[in-house]
Amino acid sequence: TKPNMSEDETKPTNDSTKSEDEVVTVFHDPQNFNVKHPLMNEWTLWFTKPPSGKGDNWNELLKEVVTFDSVEEFWGVYNNITPTSELALKSDYHLFKKGVRPEWEDPQNKHGGKWSYQFKDKRSAPIDELWLHVMLAAIGETLENDNDGEVMGVVVNVRKGFYRIGLWTKTTGKVIPGSGDGDVAGGKGRSAEKSKDVLMGLGKKFKEVLKLKDAEVVEFSGHTESAHSGSTRAKAKFTV
Amino acid sequence: DTTKPVEAAQPTPQLDSLRSARMIQRIEDISYPADIASPNPALNRTAPMGKFRYGKDFLLQFETKFTEKPSINWDARLKETVGDTTEPSSAR
Repeated sequence: TKPNMSEDETKPTNDSTKSEDEVVTVFHDPQNFNVKHPLMNEWTLWFTKPPSGKGDNWNELLKEVVTFDSVEEFWGVYNNITPTSELALKSDYHLFKKGVRPEWEDPQNKHGGKWSYQFKDKRSAPIDELWLHVMLAAIGETLENDNDGEVMGVVVNVRKGFYRIGLWTKTTGKVIPGSGDGDVAGGKGRSAEKSKDVLMGLGKKFKEVLKLKDAEVVEFSGHTESAHSGSTRAKAKFTV
Repeated sequence: DTTKPVEAAQPTPQLDSLRSARMIQRIEDISYPADIASPNPALNRTAPMGKFRYGKDFLLQFETKFTEKPSINWDARLKETVGDTTEPSSAR
């Protein structure tokens, strides 16, 4: 499949074959572009393998797939990975900011929570499109406003009776010890009202991305409340 | 990775471009082909240099443009992480 190309063409460098300020995007020439579109954050895609039934623990099942930092690379990943609709039951994809493990116990998640919605009619839910749109909203940074600082990652769970998509946040609207005095997520300089507004704004945006109707309720719950209740069906702290 | 696997395939021109391309610093300076909708400038009014927001419609335009595997060892990486769902022909 390797095209027959000269040495010059196969090894693009910042040399004289093209004028140095000629900007070529993937739209101008998909095979020979020289600039790419940076993401605001680096993102890591993780996958949870379904348990084998041999007593494997969660840490062995949670695998880091790839980390990327450009729009072009995201599509290279997306176009070459198993669609959610073809995954086995008990699989998850997690797309998180680089350096954050998609677990409640991670230091950056342990004070946080999640907005989530279950699609109970699996056949009618266009899960591949829904998950793609949630990922695009995350990497395109359109879920939150400047300096909100709440988004940690997004997740899709494939289960017997439903698909569930979640949006994980850094806080549950409370001050996090050690987060400083600033107007940042978990900081003392952010009022309780603003913290709640930020979380509610995220929930509304998430609901919009999922194209849910007004009557379909998206719920927010804290991770530790979920942990203590022994299930992910903890009572919702907020709803939109 | 400092060493390349012996059996590694050559990167395709598209993957070569991905690796060598530089990150766009000033998105307002890019002129896109006529059939491509440019990023919404309203999203990036307060963005720091080289860090941009992108709307869904802009991002979806890349779907058919960058289609190749994002690394030389992608198939092995997928097999190790996501599993065998994608390669029914490979040996078990």
